[in-house]
Amino acid sequence: MISLLPLIRNECMKIIKKKRFYVILLILLVLVPMFTYAQMRSAERNREKFSSDWRLELQQQITDNENSLSSSRIPEEWKTYRRIFVQQMQYYLDHDVNPNEPSGVTFTREFLDNSISLFIPLLIMAVASDIVSGERTTGTIKMLLTRPVRRWKVLLSKLIALLMFVSLIILSAFLVSYLISGLAFGYSGFNVPVFTGFQLSGDTVDMSAVHSVPQWEYLLMQCGLIWFVSVVVALLAFMVSVLFRSTAASIVVMMAALIAGTILTNMASAWTSAKYLFMVNLGLTNYLAGTPAPIAGMTLPFSLAVLGVWAAVSVIISFAVFTKRDILN
Amino acid sequence: MNDFKWTWRGASLLSITATLLLLIGFVYAAKDIIYPRGAAHFTETPQSTAAPAAGTDVLKVAAVGDSLAKGTGDNTGEGFVRRTVAGLSTDGMKAELIGNLGINGLTTTGLEDKLKEEGVQYVLRQANIILVSIGGNDLFDGAQSMLNEASEGTVPEGGASDSAGTPGMSTRAAGGRDELKNLDPKRLIADLPSVSNRLESILGSISRINPSAKIYYIGLYNPFGDLREMLIPGNQAVTAWNDAAMDIINRNMDMTLVPTLDLFNGHLDKYLSSDHFHPNGDGYQRMADRVVQAVR
Repeated sequence: MISLLPLIRNECMKIIKKKRFYVILLILLVLVPMFTYAQMRSAERNREKFSSDWRLELQQQITDNENSLSSSRIPEEWKTYRRIFVQQMQYYLDHDVNPNEPSGVTFTREFLDNSISLFIPLLIMAVASDIVSGERTTGTIKMLLTRPVRRWKVLLSKLIALLMFVSLIILSAFLVSYLISGLAFGYSGFNVPVFTGFQLSGDTVDMSAVHSVPQWEYLLMQCGLIWFVSVVVALLAFMVSVLFRSTAASIVVMMAALIAGTILTNMASAWTSAKYLFMVNLGLTNYLAGTPAPIAGMTLPFSLAVLGVWAAVSVIISFAVFTKRDILN
Repeated sequence: MNDFKWTWRGASLLSITATLLLLIGFVYAAKDIIYPRGAAHFTETPQSTAAPAAGTDVLKVAAVGDSLAKGTGDNTGEGFVRRTVAGLSTDGMKAELIGNLGINGLTTTGLEDKLKEEGVQYVLRQANIILVSIGGNDLFDGAQSMLNEASEGTVPEGGASDSAGTPGMSTRAAGGRDELKNLDPKRLIADLPSVSNRLESILGSISRINPSAKIYYIGLYNPFGDLREMLIPGNQAVTAWNDAAMDIINRNMDMTLVPTLDLFNGHLDKYLSSDHFHPNGDGYQRMADRVVQAVR
């Protein structure tokens, strides 16, 4: 009976030695400055236009959105989206709170909001897709399985190592984004109030439950939701990695699923049963921000349940297949 | 190997801490979204978003009102508001646009409600020149929306003739024309007292919101003057309206009426856009020139 700990340690060492994690850090270090620069330019342009007064800018945004509502050529879903946006912005304006107070923290909040459904899952995949299939591609799996350890323990140690790196990836995405954008926008802003609790029914927003939280609390909640999504994606990628012999194939399968998700969220509102697909449910932070869900009838408990079921099934499949299958090769 | 021992210890410790933190965040978020505690409200009302611009060598222009303020029909999207700002910025004067809050289809009732919004008031408070265009939709209520719908579908083709500046009578949407026959000039004038009361309250509240600003009200023109049966009744209705507006404005020091009826009468084919209701770019330019003359 060999305890799990050395196995997990071994797996972590492999992930670090393969430099996957450094690649992820490198991607973040290259892309975040680009996003920061883009954001800086657009902030500069707005400052010229609105003489650095966010209230003028926000009121103009509200008016522009109201105007586009009167055009009969805009699809109804967009109008719903805009009506909700207008009401929320009006709420910020009425309470004299700048929803986009420029700071490194706000940038991080927006960056994380935009990366939950594709960017961070992609980073997770970089580690997860390789974790089992990589051993088979190189043939080291035979070495691993000839040791006097039960197969499920081998797989479990891989799973735990993967989940450890999921947390590390989210942590580093947060840190890199905050540290780099802080250079441009300043490091303060943790206590700026953010409104949450907008409850949507149709195209009206129920404001009765709206409350303000300091931005650091909002970020904590956001990261928590991202963590849940990432764990689910990691478990799915893990299953795919068990099922496919080559790392390339397993990356392509997961990528296709994720990208299909972003396409579907943009156009599937008419096909309601698409809401049972995991990739449509990845945008959990939308519930926090009060943006309408891509398909009517989706709520946070619903999305959590769907994601939970997908994750559970993929864990069961991974273990069932891995413990039973003959390793030829 | 010893080197790795520390990496492993650091990584595992960091990862466990991060996981716990993220787990807390997740539970907190789920709880907050599913059972939002709405009580912890911001009770502080917006402090009077003060500081109306004191040093006034710069003209700060804000516009409120309907589609004319917005600039509907102008291919460049500028409308008379931006053109006015451009016109005011020449000759060493400085003018900037604070905000254009024109909304398509806005009526006097709608504008009364808008003026109660804190954000709108804030924009008006920052300005020292306020352009107001309102009333057209009250007066030509049914006709305009019918025309808009008739032209919505034909805009792509209409755009070409619009830029040429000569949309002939024959291109007018048939549907729009039929509707116009239902436009009873008597009814237009019947609504006048109540609408002009609302105009008075609108202009009054604007000058209460910003007592130091100059207010320019854009008079109406008759967009249906090219239809024989609508020329005279339309002119009468528009003139009656403009008179009522003038009456209100004459009683206030800081208000000016900028007439536009004469700019368009007889030249509708040149200065109206393809929807036969809104001015085109040239039409807006003529309006803007008027406003600039009034401001200076």
